[in-house]
Amino acid sequence: MDKVVDLYLNDSSTRRKWKHFLEKLGLNNFSSREIDVIDHTLGLVDDDGNLVGTGSIAGNVLKYIGVCNEGAQPGARFNKIVTALQQYIFNQKIFHSFVFTKAKYSKSFQHLGFNELAHTKQAAFLESGTPDVNAFLDTIPKVKDQKNKKVAAIVMNANPFTLGHRHLIELASQENDLVYVFVVATNASLFNTDERMKLVQAGTADLKNVFVVSGGDYMVSRATFPAYFLKFPDDLVATQTQIDANVFKNIIAPRLFINSRYIGTEPFSRTTSFYNQSLIQVLEPSIKVVLVPRFEVNGQVITATKVRQLIKDDNLLAIQKLVPSTTMDFIKNNKEILQDRIKKGMNIDGN
Amino acid sequence: MEIKTTGVAGTLESSDIQIMISKGTDGIQIDLDSEVAKAYGDQIKKVITDTLKKYGLDNVKVKATDKGALDCVIEARTLAAAQRATETSDKPELGVL
Repeated sequence: MDKVVDLYLNDSSTRRKWKHFLEKLGLNNFSSREIDVIDHTLGLVDDDGNLVGTGSIAGNVLKYIGVCNEGAQPGARFNKIVTALQQYIFNQKIFHSFVFTKAKYSKSFQHLGFNELAHTKQAAFLESGTPDVNAFLDTIPKVKDQKNKKVAAIVMNANPFTLGHRHLIELASQENDLVYVFVVATNASLFNTDERMKLVQAGTADLKNVFVVSGGDYMVSRATFPAYFLKFPDDLVATQTQIDANVFKNIIAPRLFINSRYIGTEPFSRTTSFYNQSLIQVLEPSIKVVLVPRFEVNGQVITATKVRQLIKDDNLLAIQKLVPSTTMDFIKNNKEILQDRIKKGMNIDGN
Repeated sequence: MEIKTTGVAGTLESSDIQIMISKGTDGIQIDLDSEVAKAYGDQIKKVITDTLKKYGLDNVKVKATDKGALDCVIEARTLAAAQRATETSDKPELGVL
């Protein structure tokens, strides 16, 4: 009978064995970016003490799952390791999990009750447990007869909310009956999730047909699109952006009757410009992608990156022209806290 | 009986069933995943529903991933998940079975 054991990757000989096992199965990406986020690793050993399966957990994401089926019933070891990983997160009161896997393994996870949210030629993205994407969509406000309305969506991190964001939302608000603004939920930015959400709400309070809601785990989140928050090689960025776009196209948009998505042109961030390309490629023609040129003040493009730099430089006067008064007030009142976060190592050059 | 948290019992291994129970608003709603759903889906759902009702739960969201469990296993897993979800594992009502 196979036994589930804890594997401690800090131990170099365990780590070597684990890595060797996965390499034999064709997993090759052992960059520290992937490994460092792992919370716990489990192994499966057979009667002779050989490693025959493994799987890891990072937050609520299952990673590095691999089994050797030699001398066992096909699927039995896979089911056992996934069960053990789930039990591990259940003990921490995490009842909702994701897995990002090669497309060919999607079916194996679906047999264990995972629900596929999106797939590309290479990769698949699945979730399991509760609250799932349907529960998420149930919490989003809707209007009467929504399916006959013109509904648009914008996804933004708004770190912080600038006049550029405002311009984009205003345009969508004029051109549509209803606009959803999904604010990125992953908390990995200078302005925390709560602050970003409140500033978007405050900055759009006068626009009656705009709903500001959380993007949850499904729109530009650490689960669907980790490259938005950390630097990744180009091929992985392409896969992730396609997955994110597919989740939007297959699940989010149809349930909310969204027929267009507004995005700002991206002259600076390489990752975001990749994302825009994937959105156009995946969403068109069923969902219209409206590419809006960046809003300019005195011939200069407004970016939240610049605002963050100015906060660091303590140049509040220059920020005044770039953000609405609601955001300005917040920055004035919380200048020290924000500068302190930057001093403590919060990256302000990313997204 | 009140559901206080999400409760899970069971595994994804052969002959078992994994039951996840959380708060519902619209009666007992079961999302069943089983390779034998065509033949036994109704029976599996009936066993889960009956067990929950006997335990005094009427508004429940259930996710069940079945791997060919027998009725007695389904009952036991449902009861265990219900106890965990209602945080009553320390005073089990085995009479429900």
